[in-house]
Amino acid sequence: MALNRLPEVLPWHPRNSTNINYSSELFGALIGAILVIPQGITFAYLAGLPPEYGIYTSIFVTLFASLFGTSSMLGGPNTAVAILIGVAVAPYAGRGSPLYIDYVLMLSFMVGIIQLLIWLLRGGRFFMYLSPAAITGITTGVGLILVLSSLDGILGLSTSGTLFFFQKLYLLFDDAENLVNPYSFSVGVVTVVTGLVARHYKTRYAILIAIAAGYLCGLLEMAQFPHVDMELELLGYLPITPLPLSHPPVGTEYLLVGLSMLPDAIIISLIGLAQSMVIVKHLRSDTDQPIQPDKEVFAQGMANLLAPFFSSFAGSGSFNRTAVNQSLNIKTPLAGIVSSGIVLVVILVLGPVLTYLPMAVISGTLFLVGIGMIKTDEIRRLTTWRGELAVFAVTLLSIIFVGLQTGLVVALVLSVLLFVLSASRLELQVEHEAVSVRIRVEGHLFYASIDQLSQLLKRHRSENVILDLSVVSYLDLSATEAIAKELTNRNNKQTFFAIQLSSPRLQAQFENRMLGEPVQFIQQTQT
Amino acid sequence: MRAVFSGIIHILTHLRLSGSKRLIFLSAILFFRFVAAEQLPIENLLERSYLDDYYSNVIYGYRIITETEKYGARYTGNSLRCSNCHLDAGRRRDAIPLNVAGMYPKWRSKNGRRNGIGLRIRECFVYSLDGIMPPEDAPEVMAISAYISYLSHGETIGEAPEGRGVPTIPDTGYDPNPASGKAIYDQKCAACHGKGGVGIPTIPPLWGIDSYNEAAGMADVKRAAGFIWANMPLGQERTLSHQDALDVAAYINIQIRPGDPRKYKLLKLLESVSGIFSR
Repeated sequence: MALNRLPEVLPWHPRNSTNINYSSELFGALIGAILVIPQGITFAYLAGLPPEYGIYTSIFVTLFASLFGTSSMLGGPNTAVAILIGVAVAPYAGRGSPLYIDYVLMLSFMVGIIQLLIWLLRGGRFFMYLSPAAITGITTGVGLILVLSSLDGILGLSTSGTLFFFQKLYLLFDDAENLVNPYSFSVGVVTVVTGLVARHYKTRYAILIAIAAGYLCGLLEMAQFPHVDMELELLGYLPITPLPLSHPPVGTEYLLVGLSMLPDAIIISLIGLAQSMVIVKHLRSDTDQPIQPDKEVFAQGMANLLAPFFSSFAGSGSFNRTAVNQSLNIKTPLAGIVSSGIVLVVILVLGPVLTYLPMAVISGTLFLVGIGMIKTDEIRRLTTWRGELAVFAVTLLSIIFVGLQTGLVVALVLSVLLFVLSASRLELQVEHEAVSVRIRVEGHLFYASIDQLSQLLKRHRSENVILDLSVVSYLDLSATEAIAKELTNRNNKQTFFAIQLSSPRLQAQFENRMLGEPVQFIQQTQT
Repeated sequence: MRAVFSGIIHILTHLRLSGSKRLIFLSAILFFRFVAAEQLPIENLLERSYLDDYYSNVIYGYRIITETEKYGARYTGNSLRCSNCHLDAGRRRDAIPLNVAGMYPKWRSKNGRRNGIGLRIRECFVYSLDGIMPPEDAPEVMAISAYISYLSHGETIGEAPEGRGVPTIPDTGYDPNPASGKAIYDQKCAACHGKGGVGIPTIPPLWGIDSYNEAAGMADVKRAAGFIWANMPLGQERTLSHQDALDVAAYINIQIRPGDPRKYKLLKLLESVSGIFSR
């Protein structure tokens, strides 16, 4: 068992991919590196960590996810995962304190272990059940959370407390002139407006343009007003080291807290994998890369398992950076591997420049990312089908009102439920023929759907019945038992009952379970 | 407290102990009362594998104070450490000790506002460390607050602890003289701090772009003189005369150093940005 899994755990090698276009891969790596730096800083802020941890995450999680992966998917810091980390660890320690960082590292390690367990159990395919409607609901909900949490930084609110959103809005309306810091507000507005305008011209680099504009606005303010009076929150110097070794904490006290964080760890690993698997699904259908979904699960698990040893927190696949990658015609994990190296070089050069970046700019980019996640055209498309719309709406509402974790669980349950509901619906057609009634069945015949059929059979008890199961590919025990029961209730002397099946295998299965009742089979006629 | 004592005496009279035994019993109770309330020294905390939120913040604060360039780097702008002035990590009297949590909030003339301990710490980053102002809820500020309240254990709220700040130099009758200060500096201080006042690793720079700025507490000649008289040269404290201390302080504080962030906004920005690249 261990040996035949060996190819799955080996890191990527250039010989795994054919026809590597090195120049486009390297260019894609550069673009990916430039795009990930603001994301890393922003998502570290979301997770309640010092910004350098976000940078390390965008270096090392990207590196390991690509190194063990098979596709051009870029890993790294992720919005939903970062929010969930912040929510999970906040009850145990103050944001950004040493104990908090220890707990985040431990949580990331747990996430890695759980994802590797999912890989061992071949659980990757279960994420294909997450319906597109639920995913749209999750991204919309996360987008709204981002927009609301960005208000703290844009308006310069001093409380980083987790207020319920309408409490926050009420406080703002009630006491705006005392709460809102005009300096950070103007910087935030410049960032957001520039980003929204730039999106129409240069969609891909809109965030970078917005950051440059916000930074400039902040510098102008700092040249005009004393820093002490403005209370404009700045990013500060990033103490970046090329090899930031750390380790998840050990000890019985940590173990106890770890156990109480286990549900959060499970949710985070599920949502991380779910997002990565959605990207993998897209890439598999759109490109001809040699992608193995199971290996991608392994890559995500390894990346998160190794993250706490390099001062990083858990991440997952990134939608927007992978999309950029795809538009640049990247086909191998090489781009991700090189990109992490470029991030390190760029941040060592650029780090000092970022010291005076106002935090309002970071919050402005959060706002832009949040707005970008609310995709109105996708939501409008959902309105055409009621079931999908219900899944979307319930997911969104529970994320907003109950919390992200609950919303994710609801989304998972609802998607599975929707699938089960649609699978248990039978298409029944009754055709009256010369001497008999032909009942054509389409769908899966199993315990949940059999009732529909047996009700129909009951109604035609006094007639000759041909049960046409030729397009049914799945029959379970309770379905055959129900049909057998129906046979015993029929008057077999005067009417006849025949079953048409699609394959001899099903017929054998049927005969085994018929409890000795005589039944007539009609062989599939070749047409 | 008095109720507890009278209770104990009451029990003792009922126990019918002899006088000497009673004394031993009482002193034992007193011993446990105060030793048990004594906080663990920081060295013991450092050895622990697990600390709760409070003590881990205390340790983090201790590390920021003693290794500012590593743990407090995010908001500092020069190469000073907190413990360069708050000697012995803020535990030495007459060297601006940090056991002052009980004195805040209080009004300060420096900014004309009522200051909490948080604002006081944040201003240290702006002036003495010539950096940027951390936000109120920055982990660094929280940690230093925790460390200060740890050190303040046992002090009376609202009262200045003994040896707070630096001693006030009595009026010597003469103005501080930078010229004679230079002679004393070259003789007594330059061995460690260097002729150019630039310092060496572990010895702080006294002036230049890597030292405190013009608005720091140390930029005040009388206060600097008090610190120098009580604590310098290290190991030979209080050997300088009051007038010598004033002269040296005047000499140090007429040197070039980073500007006041409240006065020079654009210049300050350029200065800080150029300082970042020299790191």
